[in-house]
Parts: sequence; structure tokens; C-alpha cells
Amino acid sequence: MYIDQNTCIGCGVCLRFCPVGAISLVNRKAFIDEKLCMECGTCGRNNIVKCPTEAIHENSDVYEVPRSISKYFSDPMAYHPETKVPGRGTEEVKTNDVTGRFKRGYVGIGIEVGRPSVSTNFEDVEIITKALCELDYINFEKDNPLFHLMKDPNKGIFHDHVRPRRALSAIIEFAIPIEKMDEVIRVVMSVSNEIDTVFSLEVITRLENGNVPDDVKQSLANIGLEYRPNAKVNLGLGKPLKEE
Amino acid sequence: MTHSLHRNGTCENLKDDYVILVTPAVGINNVNSQDNLRDILDKIFELKPTNIGSYETGTIFSGATIEQIKDQLSETPRVRCCFSDKEKIKELVRYIKEKDFGISVTLSGLTEDVLNIAEELNINPHSINLSLGIYGKTEKLPSEEVLEFTTMCGHGMISKHLVAKLIDDVRQGKTTIDKASETIARPCVCGIFNTERAKQLLKKYV
Repeated sequence: MYIDQNTCIGCGVCLRFCPVGAISLVNRKAFIDEKLCMECGTCGRNNIVKCPTEAIHENSDVYEVPRSISKYFSDPMAYHPETKVPGRGTEEVKTNDVTGRFKRGYVGIGIEVGRPSVSTNFEDVEIITKALCELDYINFEKDNPLFHLMKDPNKGIFHDHVRPRRALSAIIEFAIPIEKMDEVIRVVMSVSNEIDTVFSLEVITRLENGNVPDDVKQSLANIGLEYRPNAKVNLGLGKPLKEE
Repeated sequence: MTHSLHRNGTCENLKDDYVILVTPAVGINNVNSQDNLRDILDKIFELKPTNIGSYETGTIFSGATIEQIKDQLSETPRVRCCFSDKEKIKELVRYIKEKDFGISVTLSGLTEDVLNIAEELNINPHSINLSLGIYGKTEKLPSEEVLEFTTMCGHGMISKHLVAKLIDDVRQGKTTIDKASETIARPCVCGIFNTERAKQLLKKYV
């Protein structure tokens, strides 16, 4: 994103809307620091910021690599060309009743790096993906756009041009057997102090008669984790229903 | 993985905060699903949601209308909205179930309340997405009071600076709770920021 210095009147209304504080006033004009900008597009949506002179614009190369990397991982209004899914992840639990992505006996693990309210670069994401690949059974979700940025998905390594890019968040996503859950989460936690950002951790599981399976509860108890009282439930109204 | 999970808060202030997502699966049942989604959207508007939007139009708080949301459904259409009333969300789920659209529906909220709704409607829920918390360099996080607002947009579009400024403005009487809540809601383009919950959270600053 950039601000037309000829039309900006320096009112500063846009500054507070930037999720990462990339906009500042320089010589009484609003200015976007390209190194900090996530290309989320918020400041340029005039019905949101209400810039009085409509001075904020999208760069013409925003859908070209490398700027597009930030765009697709920060702007939910940008549909990812490979997956046709907007946003940063897959349909995950949203359509699990018809895709069967997470089957009985398995859990989905999501590690959303940069969320909430901090953002990330891909070097920090790579610290976690590389650590996970020390476990030889991790297969990153191929429908997640993050997979397409990897030079070697078996080692969790990203292409060189990807690593320094920043995004509001990126989701490391994969499915594993329930019995591997505590080992995997221990690995993730072991590198949590090596990154310069935060991550939100989540698990997806089938419900058994409306209950979280006992082996999932036990695995979480083994590593001292509790889940929040609020969750997202797939009601099973999709067809054809995947029962396995 | 999901934008309607990971909402920070207490059981007390998360009560009556429901997000519903209606999502045709790409490659399975998304083709020609737009009419079914328009039917669901009509029902949602009849019930008067707290917030609604779409990736194509933005939300009712940034000027989108029901007609725009209905007209601009993509080839992989989605419905995203939130309610602040258990009976309304229950009525919506009952409608979708009875019409038997065959499209996936997720409901986010306090787990106990969501599962109670499912039981009352004789629905056997399929899967659950559980939040296990935030880790890493947590000293970079804004305050818990700010996170309660920013995490209502799972895409991270709501600025911690915007929330802090508006809390301050409310505290100083420079703006009203209603205006502050609706201003914070604007950047959340898919419409799952719950303005009613935000108003309740802002009350403590008056």
C-alpha cells in the first residue's frame, strides 16, 4: 500500500487503523513503511478508514511475488489462486463433515503464527516447520497456501525469497494420529521461545456423541494443556456426510 | 486455520456471542450453491443479525447491503455472520436443518451452549475445533482488555491501536459506546465482529 503524498492532507485518520502500525506522519503527511506493511488492504478501503481525500492506494505489483506473499497471507478479501479459498488456511473443520479431512482416530493441528495482533515473518514460521519435520510422520496440508511457499516440505524449508516476507499470520496445518498429539505439541512448545512472535494453537477432532473423545482429552492432560470454553463446532449438516 | 476461533474473554462476556459460518466445500458441493445461500441470507436478515459481511463486499458497518452481499456471492460462496441472541441463532440453525440444504454449517460460541443448541434441535455434531491458547513471545501481545476486541476478527484486521484509542475516547467522553463499537467493527470484512459484545465490554470504561 502507499499514500499519495500530493493528495494526503496529513489528518492522520488512517494511522490508528493499521493493524501493525506501519503508517506514521512524516513531514505532516501520512507515510506507509513498506517494510512493515502487510498488504492487508485495510487502510485503502475507503469505507473503513474514510480518508477524506482517498489518498491511499494499492501498489500495482501487489499480486506479484514477493509482495503477493504478504497479500495472500494478510488480506482475507484476496482469494488464493491455487486453493480458490480466501484467507490463510483451508476449509479445515468448516467442511469436515463432507471432506473427512480429519477422520476418527486423527486430530488436526493448527499453529497460527503471528496471531493475535503481532504478525510474523516466515523465518519464524520456518523455525517451527523445521522442528516439526524432525518427526518423520508430519505431512503438511497441501491445500494450505503455506505448503506452496516451501522449497522442501519434507524438511519444512521455505524458498529464500519467502523467508523475510511478513504477514499478519500464517497457519501451519496437518493431521496426525491422536496418539502422536502430545509428542507433536511438545516439539512445538520446545521452539516457542526461539521465535520473535506468538502463535495460537488449536486442535480439531471428531466428536463422539457430542463429546470430545477421551483419548484427546488424555493427551492434552498429559502435556498440561486445557482448551478454552469457547469453540467452533461443525454441526454435521453437510451432504454427503463423511462418517468415517 | 479459522477466523472464528480463539476469541479471548471470560465465560461471562463470551456468553451470547455466536458466529455462524455456512460453507459449501470446494469441489464437493459449491457448484450452484449460491441460490441456497441466498435463501439462508434472507432468513438471516429476517432474524436481524448483530453483524454480517462477505469477503466481496465488507460488512453492514462499512456500508454493505443485503442485496450487495447476495448479488456478489462468488463461485465458492460463503455466509459469515454473528448473533447475540441464543433463540435467534437456534431459529436459524433449525431453518437450515429443516430446509436440508446439505451445506456445512459451523457454529462458534461457548461450547456448552453450542452443544445444547445442537441437542435441542436433535442434531448430532460432527467435529470440533478447540483453542489451546497463545504461546511464544507473549510479551508482544496487547493487554487482555484490547485482545478481547481484536480477537473478534480472526484475520487480525482490527488494530490494537484503534481499540486502545477508542477505549480512551469512550473513557474521556469523546465518543459514545455505540460509535466506538461500530468503528472498531469496520475493518473486520467478513462480519464476525460482535458489536453487541463490544458495547458490553466498553461499558466498563464509561
